[in-house]
Amino acid sequence: MIKLAQQTLLRISIMVAVASCLVVGDGLRSGTHSASAQEVQVSGPLADAPAVMRLRLWRQNRLQLEPFFAFTFGDDYSRALILGGELRFSFLDWLGIGGWGGGSVANLNTDLTRQVRDKGVTTNRNRLSLPSRENFPEQIGRMNWLAGVDLHFTPFRGKLAMFQKVFFDADLDFFVGAAFVGITERSDTTIEPGPPQFCNPPADDVGCLESQLARSKRTVVAPSFGIAFQAYFKEFMGIAIRWRAFPFKWNTGGTDEAGPNGDFPDGSIDSSDRQRQFNQMMSIGFIFILPPKIKTTD
Amino acid sequence: MEFSLDEVEDEKPNRAAQKKVDKEAEEEGDLIEQLAAEKEVEGPEEPAPKREETVEEIYAVQQIYALRLKRFELAPSAVFTVNDKYLKHPGLGVAANYWFTNVLALGVNFIWYDWGNPLERGTTLVQQIQRSFRLGVPINEWQFGLWANFTYVPFYGKFSAFRKFLFQWDSYLIGGVGIMRTKPIPVFDPEIREFNWDTRVSFNIGIGLRIFLTRYLTFFTEFRDYMFLEQFENVNVDPANRDDPSTWLAGSSTFFNNLTVQFGFTLFLPIKFEYRLPK
Repeated sequence: MIKLAQQTLLRISIMVAVASCLVVGDGLRSGTHSASAQEVQVSGPLADAPAVMRLRLWRQNRLQLEPFFAFTFGDDYSRALILGGELRFSFLDWLGIGGWGGGSVANLNTDLTRQVRDKGVTTNRNRLSLPSRENFPEQIGRMNWLAGVDLHFTPFRGKLAMFQKVFFDADLDFFVGAAFVGITERSDTTIEPGPPQFCNPPADDVGCLESQLARSKRTVVAPSFGIAFQAYFKEFMGIAIRWRAFPFKWNTGGTDEAGPNGDFPDGSIDSSDRQRQFNQMMSIGFIFILPPKIKTTD
Repeated sequence: MEFSLDEVEDEKPNRAAQKKVDKEAEEEGDLIEQLAAEKEVEGPEEPAPKREETVEEIYAVQQIYALRLKRFELAPSAVFTVNDKYLKHPGLGVAANYWFTNVLALGVNFIWYDWGNPLERGTTLVQQIQRSFRLGVPINEWQFGLWANFTYVPFYGKFSAFRKFLFQWDSYLIGGVGIMRTKPIPVFDPEIREFNWDTRVSFNIGIGLRIFLTRYLTFFTEFRDYMFLEQFENVNVDPANRDDPSTWLAGSSTFFNNLTVQFGFTLFLPIKFEYRLPK
């Protein structure tokens, strides 16, 4: 074991203390230095420059007219093909209001509707829901027209390269609002036990065959929301691919699904048989913008 | 070097002119003008060449934010079937790709669908069809799917959020071939019929959107259509051959589109990469 003189130990202690002070002090200074380095601001011509310069204001104070073609999807019994249009004015480049509307030009039955028409079975237990399988396509609910007003947010916008050759501006449009949907459903009726079973109204409808064809129309108010991808090819023209959801309750099958207290079956077709459906549609439209000349920021 | 008298004499007017210029420059404090004047004084007295303005346009091309070239991509995801009205098929997936160019990748993806009793995932529509139309609905459950895929990135862009934050994104096309493991859920004669998992050849195509959170981490969403020939349960029960398994399946296959939406994250490995710049 090496014995060190007291004075040597004192020297070593002083050196260690000094070294510690230097290390700690340097460390503190380093910390201070790095903290100050983060405060260094960009200088030169880019100082205080915005993230985007010469930004093209595609929407601000411009009117957008968009004829579109749409189709509903995810439907149980019938899909609607819709032709319509949308008109939108944007106060800011990222905020605007708009109205839209369209009418069903055709309704396509789903495979389930065809299966029921071909293979459905009518008994005394389900006569109200399916009086005859052949006329089942006539009893299902259908959309006739749609309209709505929306608030549009366009927080994300940018540019897009396609195949590294074609470049265009694009944005994501989020919207929320109210939709008004004109629908046709099977009319209210009640089955009487019989025998023979008959529905009322219409009066004394034996077998409920007439009630199966009776239709009633109403307008539904529903929340509406969605997202659209918009791309612009000219200063006054673009394309929009839009997904929209507008959930509301309706009786899509024209069947007896529930009673006033949730009982099934209650022997009546009425408002208690309406079930919440998450109605959705996709649309593709062409955007025409006025005034045709676009403005840019500095 | 020798100085002749001529040179000294010649230098006098030059110096005088220089002093005059210096004095003027000092008064105006314009160093650039001073230097220009020096050149004028010192230069030969030849007619200056006619100056032509040329406009040179220089384009600054931003580097691609995240290169995919020669990187592995690992992508776990949650999978939801959107077009099956009778049975929900939630799944957990994972994909692995190798990018052999910056826009083209080869990889595999795997989805596991088998979570507990499938009838608990049935929708109310099945019961409605049984009650209202006296019809049974043949439904199948899925175990897993495994596919080999090509991915191609034709779209690449960047978005600004509220004119402040920039983020990069790309959109890709994907497609491939693989297998699905499925089996029918006995509905029409559940007391007798029992099915085993079977393998179906499956194709898939899709489109995806990938948002770069960092140069190695992205959020992505995909729309994929997994197509396969599905074998459903036979809706007819033959009382004479009820126990014969050869009568349990439908006579023909049904082309099935499993349209899914997938959400997940992508991890690019290695995490760091280097740009190869032209010299």
